[in-house]
Amino acid sequence: MTSEVSQDWKSIVHRCFRCGYCKFTHSYSDFNCPSYKEYKFETYSTGGRMWLIYGLINNDLKWSQDLANVLYACPTCGNCTENCKFEKFKGFLVDIIEAARAEAFNNGFCPENQKFLLERTRNSNNYNPYGEKNSDNSELKKKYNLPEKAEWVYYIGCTSNYRQQDLRDATLRLLKKAGIDFTLIDEHCCTSPLIRTGQNEIVPDFINYNINQIRNAGASKVITSCAGCYRTLKKDYEKFGADLGFEVFHTGELIKKLLKEGKIKILSNYENIVTYHDPCHLGRHMDMYEVPRDIIKSIPGIKFIEMKRNRENAWCCGAGGGVKIGYPDWSVEISKERLEEAKETGATVLTSMCPFCRTNLSDANKKFNMGFEIIDLIELIDQLEIEVND
Amino acid sequence: MNYLNKDEILTQLEKISGRDFVSNKTGDLFIYSQDPGASESRPVDFVVLPKTVEEIQKIVKLANSEKIPLIPMGGGLTLSGLIIPVRGGIVLDLKRMNQILEINELNRYALLEPGVTTGMLKAYLSENYPELQPPIPDAPPSATIAGNMLIHGSGSLSQKYGCHSSMINGLEVVLPTGEIGKFGSCAVSEYWFSKGPIPDLIGLFTSAFGTMGIITKISIKLFPRPKFRDMIFGFTKGFSDLPKLMSKITFTELAEDIMIAKGDVPEAYKNFGMLMVYFAGNSKDEMEFKRKTIEKIFKDHKAQVVPLVGKARERLMAEPQYGAALAADWRKGGGFEYVGSFIPLEKIPEAIEKGTTISRKYGLLTSLLFRLIGRGHAVMFSVTFPFNRSDSKDMINTRKGLEDADKMILEIGGIPWKAELTGQKLILEKMDPNFKKLFNNIRNIFDPNGIMNPGNWEVQ
Ligand SMILES: Cc1cc2nc3c(=O)[nH]c(=O)nc-3n(C[C@H](O)[C@H](O)[C@H](O)COP(=O)(O)OP(=O)(O)OC[C@H]3O[C@@H](n4cnc5c(N)ncnc54)[C@H](O)[C@@H]3O)c2cc1C
Repeated sequence: MTSEVSQDWKSIVHRCFRCGYCKFTHSYSDFNCPSYKEYKFETYSTGGRMWLIYGLINNDLKWSQDLANVLYACPTCGNCTENCKFEKFKGFLVDIIEAARAEAFNNGFCPENQKFLLERTRNSNNYNPYGEKNSDNSELKKKYNLPEKAEWVYYIGCTSNYRQQDLRDATLRLLKKAGIDFTLIDEHCCTSPLIRTGQNEIVPDFINYNINQIRNAGASKVITSCAGCYRTLKKDYEKFGADLGFEVFHTGELIKKLLKEGKIKILSNYENIVTYHDPCHLGRHMDMYEVPRDIIKSIPGIKFIEMKRNRENAWCCGAGGGVKIGYPDWSVEISKERLEEAKETGATVLTSMCPFCRTNLSDANKKFNMGFEIIDLIELIDQLEIEVND
Repeated sequence: MNYLNKDEILTQLEKISGRDFVSNKTGDLFIYSQDPGASESRPVDFVVLPKTVEEIQKIVKLANSEKIPLIPMGGGLTLSGLIIPVRGGIVLDLKRMNQILEINELNRYALLEPGVTTGMLKAYLSENYPELQPPIPDAPPSATIAGNMLIHGSGSLSQKYGCHSSMINGLEVVLPTGEIGKFGSCAVSEYWFSKGPIPDLIGLFTSAFGTMGIITKISIKLFPRPKFRDMIFGFTKGFSDLPKLMSKITFTELAEDIMIAKGDVPEAYKNFGMLMVYFAGNSKDEMEFKRKTIEKIFKDHKAQVVPLVGKARERLMAEPQYGAALAADWRKGGGFEYVGSFIPLEKIPEAIEKGTTISRKYGLLTSLLFRLIGRGHAVMFSVTFPFNRSDSKDMINTRKGLEDADKMILEIGGIPWKAELTGQKLILEKMDPNFKKLFNNIRNIFDPNGIMNPGNWEVQ
């Protein structure tokens, strides 16, 4: 397994024209790149970043903290990839930013705030970016009476295990209720925060470790309720040369399947006005837009209203790409814009399918007193009465 | 001569516009010292993003006392380096001044700040005034309305209504001395509805490339948006009949936009011109009538109509036509520049012949485009030069090609449009000496310290 992503990006980065389509929504109604909208200098558009990176490769520029900061002030939400008009190039934009961050790190210019992620994660007491003592999940296994080996592994992810435990518990209850043959493993961080911030040093070891744990559990399928873990397990592990040998699903996919096959049915009414926020790691990064909507539509009594910017056009919550830890104030400002948009729908409940989005949207909800109930869709389902059919 | 050192100037600018909106950081200066075209990079001292007219006035006063050049910038997308300073100085990126101040539906105008982008105005009207449309170019949506109007831009309404500069009703300008000037009906009335009837000084600011002041408000004409829009696509064999064919179509008064493209690929199409005629209407019957009438003219002139479907149709119907940007990847190199020009209609065949010769001389796939302006009163003609930014030889080749194309256009009686520095020099060489003298005198009156985008339109 290689420890670095492909170096090809150096030979294509000059192909960005800096035409600026990447800054917008589909209809051009507004700038949809959080970084450009905040910092406003052309430097902070994806085109600006591509040109800086090319300048660095070409030795027109020298690495400095200021330049590295420009590369890091981006939640890598993928709006640029979505709106770039160059089909042969657009798919690489976020990868190039991440690869350039790795160069920044190697040159000693990873910003201080983000360095914590690596320090905490590599600490053998933690193996997670929150600096919490590692949980081997044996308590949970006991509590839920889970086997040593099973068809499925529920990969909890650090945010759900150490911050959004409600989501973890809701997922566990749902899987149990639905009679899924699953177990848990002693996880290391999936390494999403490290890859996103270019700190790839320990990534291959962690990938190996997690894959071995999953294999040892005899699982052929992995499920996760975390959009970040999902993207990383499904997309990045292979990019780092790993051979998974198992399939990766988001919990939403399993719920949708069970609903469709009639294995579960939602019985109780949920009479609220609800809107849905597309997590970037699930939407633009993984193309999963309809799964959550199909689930929502199967809930009796729900009134679902879309935000103006939805699906491929969604405004990012601002937590990704190391922005939450690197730029905490700006990060919640980005979420504030999302909540203001959610207000326009008349919804009282804002749901999503990513613990990271949930954290940031909740932080903004509290800080700006926006009065929403913010809840992960899995938790929402868990609150409802469900009929299980064999 | 400068009196303050750079740090002191930075401090002054920060006092005016706030620290977050002033920069002399290496990365920012690097980006603003270039544009996506083929111009060489040229140094920038500061980038400022002002928010108000008052801030701009203060910056202009500072620039006068320190004799620092000021370069106004909208989207920075002309490709001809017009927003890259020639003598250093302050780039004024106007994107924070992005308010749509008024849409006057009945009198059909929009009053805008200079940072309003073509994309945003289009989306705003579609959502709030679906019966109106703005004149926009096929430039990427971050091009500003002001930047485009000020350079004699053109777009999908230009054949019917004229080039975009002719659609300006009024301007508010921070003049190079820092005073505020109002031009057009707004100088007399609270309505920004018309250029006249007073002496028309608005022309002093169009194609001036930021040398006459900083436009802080612009009123533009809006146009009805018919319910349906469609196009006829076809080919002509040979080029000599094109002026007559085009003229015939304009005489019907039925077309919104008329374009001709000429390429070398595929080989079999080398001697063909590709025709695109756009039309619009409010009923199916009206559309049918227009289609039949225009197609008959195609037939009379032995032009073949080809039905377009799928991605090709989607691209050509898009507003803006995003396909225009894709030339930047033809040489897998992240850029292109075109010599645009205004030529008389009768010169289309000659322009095709000479444009093709130049493209081949420089080893390029020929890519020529014509867009009729104002019912055939002029034609926008362009020769496109895609390049590979990572290949310095290719860049030199491109710059030479652009110069050759400028010369060719002047030779056939056309005028390079939004010309880069070399093109401007060539135009000035051919320009009537009295025009030049008068222009220079006016410029000196407006801008006694020569602070506005110096190096452009420089009459020696
Ligand atoms: C892919 C592509 C397609 C294009 N297609 C077209 C097309 O179909 N039609 C067309 O007309 N053009 C086209 N262009 C050219 C160009 O992008 C547009 O004309 C564009 O609208 C210019 O606007 P801007 O905001 O980018 O202007 P800028 O480049 O920012 O400015 C243009 C000039 O105006 C000056 N200026 C800008 N704002 C002010 C102000 N407030 N006060 C004083 N001076 C100011 C600048 O100093 C500069 O000299 C195309 C470009 C590209 C890249």
